[in-house]
Parts: sequence; structure tokens; C-alpha cells
Amino acid sequence: MKFIITLAFKNLTRYKRRTLITAFAIAVGLMMFIIVDSVLIGVESESMRNLRWYETSSARIMHEEYWEDRLLMPLDMSIDDPYAIIDMLDKEGITAAPRINFSADMILYSDDFGEDGNMPVQVTAIDPELDNTVFRFKETLVEGTFPEPGTNQMVMGSWFAEDIGAEVGYWVTLVTRGNGGFYEAMDMEIVGIVNCPNPNVNRTLLMVPIDTVDEYLAMEGNATEINIALPEDSDIATEVEQIKNLLEERGRSLHVATWDELAQDYVALAEAKRGGTGMILFLVFIIAAVGISNTMLMAIYERIRELGMMRALGMKDRSIQLAFMVEAAGIGLIGSIVGVALGVAINFYMVNVGVDLGFLMRDMDMGYRIQSIMRGAWSPSTLVTAFFFGTFLSMLVAYIPTRRALKMDIPSCLRHQ
Amino acid sequence: MIRIQDVVRNYHAGETVVKALKGVSLEITDGEFLSIAGPSGSGKTTLLNLIGCIDALDGGEIVIDETPVSKMDKKAKTEFRRNNLGFVFQTYNLIPVLTAYENVSFVLSILNVPEKEIEERTMGILKEVGLQGMEHRRPDRLSGGQQQRIAIARALVKNPKIVLADEPTANLDSKTGEEILKLMQSMNEKYHTTFIFSTHDSMVMDYARRLVSLHDGQVIDDQRR
Repeated sequence: MKFIITLAFKNLTRYKRRTLITAFAIAVGLMMFIIVDSVLIGVESESMRNLRWYETSSARIMHEEYWEDRLLMPLDMSIDDPYAIIDMLDKEGITAAPRINFSADMILYSDDFGEDGNMPVQVTAIDPELDNTVFRFKETLVEGTFPEPGTNQMVMGSWFAEDIGAEVGYWVTLVTRGNGGFYEAMDMEIVGIVNCPNPNVNRTLLMVPIDTVDEYLAMEGNATEINIALPEDSDIATEVEQIKNLLEERGRSLHVATWDELAQDYVALAEAKRGGTGMILFLVFIIAAVGISNTMLMAIYERIRELGMMRALGMKDRSIQLAFMVEAAGIGLIGSIVGVALGVAINFYMVNVGVDLGFLMRDMDMGYRIQSIMRGAWSPSTLVTAFFFGTFLSMLVAYIPTRRALKMDIPSCLRHQ
Repeated sequence: MIRIQDVVRNYHAGETVVKALKGVSLEITDGEFLSIAGPSGSGKTTLLNLIGCIDALDGGEIVIDETPVSKMDKKAKTEFRRNNLGFVFQTYNLIPVLTAYENVSFVLSILNVPEKEIEERTMGILKEVGLQGMEHRRPDRLSGGQQQRIAIARALVKNPKIVLADEPTANLDSKTGEEILKLMQSMNEKYHTTFIFSTHDSMVMDYARRLVSLHDGQVIDDQRR
């Protein structure tokens, strides 16, 4: 064994440049694997957090029929007495807040906006106090104030405000149909602008007080949804089951959807992207594998005579195979150490600073719920996997050409030029 | 004692069959210093390869010390070579990354000889072949003659019954070739190891105590001197 290790080590240093180039190829492959994986985990976890904090909450209670037709936002399929449910949940230690979602036509005036105009919008009516216990909009307020209950005040997403040239103090009118189908117009003053980290929300957000909307739209105290905040580390499926049981016990037949049910588009997209990224990683590894394979092929075919001599002198094929595989493992080990070190160094930057992709996210919907800074996340299992995979892969790709060379008869090996 | 009985070896090149050995029979006693001579293509290397158990014959039999080696399987042949045979090649076939010492000692490593004994035997044989003080040099820093001395030391270090040398002086100038032959001769006398070497060089043949001549795969002459 000592001889095998000595031989493998000396052969590694025999062609330093080739060893280093191959190790470098492995290192680059592993580094890319670590970074891509880190960014993917980072982006996904931040997207999930931004979904739960600004878009879907952890879970949402809705009328069964509202859930079916939720894209139409039917006000007549709302939840009766939502505060009774909220109190019930509060007693169980669960935070919840009501909301009314409705679509409207927003009229802009030339006095404020320079020219008259109108556009379709989606408006969210919130209970300003409770909503901030479930969502985190208050922390993202960059200008003005949050709407006061009972007022005609409105907050707007900063990208939305930028797009239409809105500023705090401007007035708009929301024209919509109330519960029952009557038309209603609400004059609203923009009192605050929030810079929400969830780009989908920041592009479209309009929030108004729920009691004001209740009166305008004749909701009679109903809400279209109750949003629930659950602890980050909780098992949402189990919690949702418990909430369903509580509702059933009180004779309330309502639908409770988890955040990932509510964000099916994102979940599907994330899965597809994960598959695509997996493909990229696979290709990176193929490139690294071809590099190692090529190096080992050259190393083996240059040493066929040497191999024949060792066999003639009575060295077992298994030992010769092992010598070449130890050599390949050595290349893999160097590549893995350098790759993981480079990956960790770059990932340190990715986790703590990140890459500002605001310019890209501003005008393009990539599906991820991150607004500008794309950050990585630490994944010790990825580092360990990358390290062992690099070494293992090297040994694996060395196996085949060595095996083939060992199948040649000894005189042919000794004659090999 | 090596007994070679009606050995036949054919090579196939496409549909053409090349008859390398056409029923060769020989008996070689222990401690002989024997040269197999003949022109290129006469079957010298093929015969050496068959005695060295690195090739398979198509007919006949080879028996070494009552062991029918030609009937052994691959694994048994490997073990037989490891324990009983030494090889010297025309192109030395040293491992370029290893030192002279390592090139010789690895033969003992694969025989699982204890480390201390490996050192003693390796240093001893290197001294005998005249390479004392050069143990740590790699082959690329040694002359052709010195490299062939390492190869001889490597063949002899495990005290084999037989050393097979395929054209051992072909890559050397005549003076160095003669030195190598004298070294092989002295080793043969000292250890009574059987030396069988192939050549087509008349100077080399002169050193042999027995000269077997091959032509077209057949023994045409067998002289003892």
C-alpha cells in the first residue's frame, strides 16, 4: 500500500501542469456547484420569506366558494364575522388579520399626475393594527405614514408609485362595485409609500383601511380572507389541520390554504428552475468529468509499458488499478480542497453582501420574490457533498480507462509506443 | 529445470495467421546462461514471453520445476511471476518518477517483504550492480547502462529462479553492452540464477554458455560451450 501511495503521489507531481489544470477544472466545477446551490437556496428561502411576510402569509382562511373563484375576487363569498375567528385563533396563540381584496379602476388626475388617466388595479383593504402582526409592511415604509382606520388614506408600493409618478399627498379615485353589484367611487389620498422586498407586491400594492372599505362596499363586517401568521419553523400542514378542526368545531365551513397552495405559480416555477439549475450543475460536472477522464486517459496510455512491466513483475491488476485510482483521487482531492475553499470564499461574499440585481428585477419578473439583492445561504451538506463528490468522481472516471488498459495482454503493453 | 515441449504460438493479423513458434522443444537446466539467438521475427521474444508466463501458447507445454506453467490461469501466472521470475527489458522499463532505490525495492514491496529487509536487500543489490551512491537518482539522471543495471538489480533483488532478458543490450553501445553482459554473467555465477536472454548481436552470443538459434519459429541449432 505504501508503494501504491508513493507511486500515485509521485505520478501526481510528474506532470504538475496537467494535474493542476485538471484539479482546477474540478475546483471550478465544485465552486460553481457551491455558489449556484447557495444562491438557489438563498433566493428560495428569501422568496418564501417574502411570500409569507408580504403576499400570502403562512396560511389563509377563505370562504369555500371564494377559494374556487379567488381570481375573480367575489365580494359576496366572504367570511361572516371574521373577528370572531380571529379571536378564536388568538386564544390558541395564533395571530391573524382580516383583509378584503377587490378590483377597481383607479382614476388619476392631471392636477397631481400631470395628465388624467385611469388603470385597473387590485386593492387590499387591511386592518392597520392587526395586519402588521401578520405582515411586515410597516417596516418597509419609506415615505409618509400608514393609513389610519376610518380614513380615506392609502399606501402604495414604491415601484407602482414610480411607474405612475405618484407621490405622498396625491389623490386618486377608486371606482369599483360593492357587495351586491352597485357602483361605488372612493377618493383616496396617498399617505405612504412602502418599498416592499417582494417585487410582485411592490409593483401593484395599494392598501386602504378595512373599515373604510367595509362602509363603501357594504361588506357588513365581512372579510374576503383571514391571513394567519405561523412561526417560521412550524409545521404548517399540521397547524392548518388544527385550524380546520377548530373551525369545524365552531360550525364554520371554510377553506384553509397554506402559503404554498396560495403561491402555486411560484412553487411550480421554483421547481422548474431547480430542475434547470440541476441540469446546469450536471453539465458542470460532465465538463469536470471529461477533464479528469481525459487527464487519466492520457496518463494511463502514456504509461501502458510501465503498466505492462508492473504486471510482468507480478503486481496484481487490483493493485495497479488502485494505484491509478489513488492518483485520480489525489487530483480530485486537490480540486475538491481548492473548489470548496473558493466556493466558501465567494459564498462568504454572497451570503453577507450578495449581488444587486435590482436593475434586472425592476423591469423583469423572474418569478422569485426578491427585489434587488440576491444573497446566498450556507449549506454545510452542499460543501461536504461537493468535497466528496469531487474526489469520488475523479476515481470513478479513472476506473474505466485503467480497466481497459489492464485488459490488454502483457506483451502488447510492453510493445506499446 | 525448464522443459519446453512442442510449443506452438500463432498470431492472428486479420485473416492471416502468423506462426511465431512451430513446435519448439528445449530443456534448460538450473543456472544456465543461455542465449536465444536469431534474426527479427524468428520467435525469440515470443519464446521468452511464453517462458515468462506473460503470453499464452496455442500448443505444447512448458513446465518449470515440475509446474506446468502453461496450464495456469491468469492469477496463478501472476503469482508465479511474482515469486519466481525476473525480467530485464530492452528499453529498461523503469518507473521514471521513482528513484533507483524505489525502482528496485518495489519488487520486494509487492512480495510483502518487511521494510528493514527491503532496505538491506535493495542496498545490497544496488552495490553489487555498481550503483552505490546513486540510489536516490531518478532514471532520467542516469545513463542507459546505469538504467539497465537498475533493471538487472530489480530482476535479481527477489532472488528469482530465472531471469529473462529480452535484447538487454540492444539500446546500449557495445562497451556498455559488454559491461552489462559481464554483470549478468557474474550474477549468474554468484547466485546460480538461470539467465535466458534473446539477442541477434554476435558479441552478446559470444558470452552465452549455451546458444539456441531460432529461425522461422523453429530451433535450428543448440550449442553448449
